[in-house]
Amino acid sequence: MAGVGSGGNDIQWCFSQVKGAIDDDVAEDFLYGKVVYQKITNMEVKILDFGSHGLLQGFKWISKLMYWMNKLWLLVPWKVPVLLVLLVKGEMIEKPNKQNKSQPHCRGEYNVYSTFQSHEPEFDYLKSLEIEEKINKIRWLPQQNAAQFLLSTNDKTIKLWKISERDKRPEGYNLKEEDGRYRDPATVTTLKVPVFKPMDLMVEASPRRIFANAHTYHINSISVNSDYETYLSADDLRINLWHLEITDRSFNIVDIKPANMEELTEVITAAEFHPNQCNTFVYSSSKGTIRLCDMRAAALCDKHAKLFEEPEDPSNRSFFSEIISSISDVKFNHSGRYMMTRDYLSVKIWDLNMESRPVETYQVHEYLRSKLCSLYENDCIFDKFECCWNGCDSVVMTGSYNNFFRMFDRNTKRDITLEASRENSKPRAILKPRRVCSGGKRKKDEISVDSLDFNKKILHTAWHPKENIIAVATTNNLYIFQDKVN
Amino acid sequence: MLAKGAKRKFSEHEDGVEGKMSCGNGPSKVSYTLQRQTIFNISLMKLYNQQPLMEPSLQRTVLINNMLRRIQEELKREGSLRPMFISPSQSSDTLNDNYREVQPAFNHLPVPPIQVTSLTSTTSPDSCLTPASVLEDDTFSSCQTIELSVCKSQNHSLKDSFSSALDEIEELCPSSTTADSKSCKSALNEGSSEKPDELQEGRSSETKFADTLPGNFEITTTGFLTDLTLDDILFADIDTSMYDFDPCTSTTGSSSKMTAVTADDILKTLSPYSNQSVTPSQPFKMDLAELDHIMEVLVGS
Repeated sequence: MAGVGSGGNDIQWCFSQVKGAIDDDVAEDFLYGKVVYQKITNMEVKILDFGSHGLLQGFKWISKLMYWMNKLWLLVPWKVPVLLVLLVKGEMIEKPNKQNKSQPHCRGEYNVYSTFQSHEPEFDYLKSLEIEEKINKIRWLPQQNAAQFLLSTNDKTIKLWKISERDKRPEGYNLKEEDGRYRDPATVTTLKVPVFKPMDLMVEASPRRIFANAHTYHINSISVNSDYETYLSADDLRINLWHLEITDRSFNIVDIKPANMEELTEVITAAEFHPNQCNTFVYSSSKGTIRLCDMRAAALCDKHAKLFEEPEDPSNRSFFSEIISSISDVKFNHSGRYMMTRDYLSVKIWDLNMESRPVETYQVHEYLRSKLCSLYENDCIFDKFECCWNGCDSVVMTGSYNNFFRMFDRNTKRDITLEASRENSKPRAILKPRRVCSGGKRKKDEISVDSLDFNKKILHTAWHPKENIIAVATTNNLYIFQDKVN
Repeated sequence: MLAKGAKRKFSEHEDGVEGKMSCGNGPSKVSYTLQRQTIFNISLMKLYNQQPLMEPSLQRTVLINNMLRRIQEELKREGSLRPMFISPSQSSDTLNDNYREVQPAFNHLPVPPIQVTSLTSTTSPDSCLTPASVLEDDTFSSCQTIELSVCKSQNHSLKDSFSSALDEIEELCPSSTTADSKSCKSALNEGSSEKPDELQEGRSSETKFADTLPGNFEITTTGFLTDLTLDDILFADIDTSMYDFDPCTSTTGSSSKMTAVTADDILKTLSPYSNQSVTPSQPFKMDLAELDHIMEVLVGS
């Protein structure tokens, strides 16, 4: 996979698709129990029925998206008044490449596949508080049969969904009419064997397990283990281990709740299982530390096996040092040798064999360092950005403000800033690199720090596991970008 | 010399709420202090302006708390305390005579842990910054509801608690020896100690307020943060009422002017919560007569 940057062998990203409300204003109507689907076969695109507008409406805002490992799936949940989980599935359309016949030209077209409501709005009667209507995390399970399984969670409850396709139905029952009414047995004179006839693709999502009542605090992470039998769920103070088949019991494996809550100074912010070792997981904290734990050591993994923490840089010390060191996301790479953490201003890559400091650090938006007080005031400093690896772990990507997102090439050490906006959304339009100037003279095409829009933030990004296709979520739009292939 | 500069810095900072004057050790130190104070204020505002129906994010709360704690530690380390505000359990070299005399009058009250402009070290067990209502798990469910009801009932109970607080103050002055009351007055006559005295009263009255709600004390008033909020409400209310309440000024005449000035000073010495909405509650106005009476006694007019 080519690296990032401009010119030479590097990728030029160009616009592929955008989904969501046309305006940046939140659309008032929303999809509601309507299944919209399309199956794309090679060279064939079916027109979707989105209603009169022809475009998907009803995004409130996108709360999570991710690619799944082996399939060309893109999962987008978003917060609407009735919490929907949207599946967007795409297949590669192979078109013969005129110039280079040996390399087929692949383009991914993504369209809405299914929508279903994952979590109901809830009310916690014990605390007299509403449970906030949003889906915090989604994780796919590895596919074992024709159906797909995914875990989705809100603040308190995790649900396992089964998504299955149906494109055939039986016809020709002896005792039933076509519409389902029972026939009078006296009128049956002949027997026939019911046959399966093709029908329009129907996608069904059914809840299979509900894992509830195990978390006092807000769930921030779920992670499926490599044994494909267990998964962990992490809230602010505890991490629980579940078995996918058992819903009435979970094991607490990490508990950092102090005896006296007034002494609480640190919370868990993210947790993930190691991709290959089923006994290893990591969790990050609000103080910028990552702890690696081995479940073989003890039932309660309060003692970490490794502690990853970078010593504070005294020249950069400020009132906000602790807050900006709080880690918002942890992601292992595909091999499991490295892990990436995202704190407010930077992305760090750690070698699991070295605890003292990260092996690589990339500054995402260093120009914000002088604005931390204002960002603290408007709460932007608490924004939780995610990060992701590309398929071969050579490039990492994360989001920023003003609908900018950044990519860092680990090999060439080059980085690029791109923008997800409707203005750049002409078909096949190549994205232009953007630059932010922190002070002094502003060059042409640069944008100054003071004119950044802090309401336009990209918190979620995802990279296709095999191709150079990325999905970027703004507040209420989903952008898909692909590398430009001549 | 550094200590002296620091002291001066603080007094000037207290007088000018938005403190733009440079003094002491130069603009960089002042701006650092100013920034620290600003961040401190912002943090407090954040903690107390939570959405009532949604659970606040624990991570955010913990981070804000840590920020406040750190600022407190810093101030404590700088040692820039005004002697008046050191709790009696700590010995202080710089107590002036007036204060020493006034203080025993308040001894029997639970010592207020922290004052807003100079954060003392809190030796009392209730010194934690964290509003336990937010973090306490055991009483998590009850805390939230209690806190909500406290916020709602605060206005209603303000009258009762404040009048009882005023009673407390009233008791102190007449019940103490003549020397004490005289020292109270003389303390007030001095410009510098006038403020701390008023604040000390406010402190004790507010602790009394906390005591009158025993359930809440456990839960919501263990931190100085809550004290501050109550302090604000109490004194902010006083200020506005003094200006608005016409019969008060007419009946008390000159003393009302005096009291108005005092209240204003008090408000200035507190952290700049000028943007916090002040709603003088109706029942509160009825206490102005009592307040007047106390002010008369203290001022000695």
